[in-house]
Amino acid sequence: MKSSRRQATKPSGVVALQRAGGRGSPVPFLLPALLIVFAVLIFPILFSFVVSLFDWPLSAGGGERSFVGLGNYSELFRDPGFWNSLLLQLGFIFIAIPLELVLGLGAALLLNREFRGGRVIRALMLLPVFFLPVVSGMTWRFMLQPRYGALNNLLVNIGLPEITWLANAGTAYAAIIMQDIWRMWPFVFMLLYAGLAGIPTELLEAAEIDGANFSKRLFKIILPLLYPTILTALLLRIIDALRIFSEVYVMTEGGPGMATTLFSLYTHRIAFGHMKVGLSSAMAIFLLIISIVFAITLVRKNMSLEQLEERGGGQ
Amino acid sequence: MILTLSRRKKIITAAIAVFAFAILALELYPIFITLLNGFRRDIVILSGQDFNLKQLTLRSYEMVMANKGFIKALFNSMLVALLSTGVSVGVGSMAAYGISRFRFRGRNALAYSFLVFRMLPQMSLVVALYLMFRGIGIRDTIFGITLAHSSFNVPYVIWMLIPFFVAVDKAYEEAAMVDGCNRWMIFRLVFLPLAAPGLVVAAVFAFINSWNEFLYALILTGVNARTAPIAISSMIGGDTLTWGQMCAASTVMLTPVFIFTLAMQKFLIRGVSAGGVKG
Repeated sequence: MKSSRRQATKPSGVVALQRAGGRGSPVPFLLPALLIVFAVLIFPILFSFVVSLFDWPLSAGGGERSFVGLGNYSELFRDPGFWNSLLLQLGFIFIAIPLELVLGLGAALLLNREFRGGRVIRALMLLPVFFLPVVSGMTWRFMLQPRYGALNNLLVNIGLPEITWLANAGTAYAAIIMQDIWRMWPFVFMLLYAGLAGIPTELLEAAEIDGANFSKRLFKIILPLLYPTILTALLLRIIDALRIFSEVYVMTEGGPGMATTLFSLYTHRIAFGHMKVGLSSAMAIFLLIISIVFAITLVRKNMSLEQLEERGGGQ
Repeated sequence: MILTLSRRKKIITAAIAVFAFAILALELYPIFITLLNGFRRDIVILSGQDFNLKQLTLRSYEMVMANKGFIKALFNSMLVALLSTGVSVGVGSMAAYGISRFRFRGRNALAYSFLVFRMLPQMSLVVALYLMFRGIGIRDTIFGITLAHSSFNVPYVIWMLIPFFVAVDKAYEEAAMVDGCNRWMIFRLVFLPLAAPGLVVAAVFAFINSWNEFLYALILTGVNARTAPIAISSMIGGDTLTWGQMCAASTVMLTPVFIFTLAMQKFLIRGVSAGGVKG
């Protein structure tokens, strides 16, 4: 009944669509979103760039501004604090993300089978990902406290000396990395798990029957087929790690000293600690360019509109 | 032979299940600590006493609920999250409709740029937003922080909605067109009801994005429009080590997030992939 009606109306519907401007103007639908995006995204970026060309002190009255051209950029590249933060940021990315990928892949391979409680485990595993970043930072700060922190209690119980985690440069840096791994590896796991589920089991079974051992199956079948998913996970995590701020800010405020001033934290410190808005805008633009490069790589490789349209609703 | 093989398989599966539960317990331990310590007194926590049931108390919750600053911040958080969700779902559903139902030049580029916009570091924008908002006098207002949150939620919602919108059958719209509806009526009266599940999913994630957000709130609000994540972070510092209250307040904030997370199982991966849930 329904289908016959649809057949009857469809041709004339298409005609009507075209007559009524079916290929017509999407502008009224797009305009409000474009206005908001312009006001709070595009304009601030342009404005950031303008500010980065000035020596612009942060003060209520506006202060003395003077045009310095690219002076802020050259000052930035001569600033040891900038290089320190860049190094810390790179270290963070190169330590945390590979570990998250390895943990995620290992768990995905291990749990890629049906067992009782499997669904529950996967559901609960993602809770840390949605944990408020600020609460995650505070909880880790709490666990790392001397005397009453859980992690130190554990160390004492197994006969090791207490560590004042957040008071030493090295251990504080390790702590912010641990926090990130704890929070984000389940996300990598879920992405890779979903990717693994897409590999036909017949393929793996056939290889097993042909006598391929586990490492052969892993390197010859699973990893090549999983490669696009791994790449997506990697890029998503890099983009995310580039902008990490709140967790680290509430854990250490970038300290002790400059030991955990990652990129965003140093930008924040220049602007609102040293009151140099121009210099911090130069750093913001630098960070923006790096992030855009990664974001465009990700979007072009793995998130095409056609792909989305094929996939449709549901998952 | 077959019997032993299947038995071996069963044992392996059981071992893996046990191992998986162990990992899960380890993974959830920090969350468990947060929830538990909300029910212990600060003094008990600070003295490092071992846990026993007699320590459980609602004292920290009472103190948090009596803390006017936190309650105001919680109210602000709720208001800002609802407003920014409303704005971004309203505006975003129109834009997603424009992208998924019209063919025009630059359509792909537009869709991609929304996704790229969602992935920009907030730190790159916040200094400029601070100067702008201070200049036009909307710093530390609900309006200002809502607008700032819309900057990530509008692109986010658009990208979440496109796959849902594309999946809606065009036949209904065409029938409505025959009946003489214009585009706008079709969108509101025919299309949106059909796409309602997608709208709910997008709204939930937009709400969580705003609810969890920290950096914009830190820079763009002060005493008036301060949101709860900022209030929580300021509970600890210097000599005030009110961990119990911090954990109680955190639990209050976490409750809606966890409910949504568990209810939205099916969409979590896409939700995070569309640009993260980070603040």
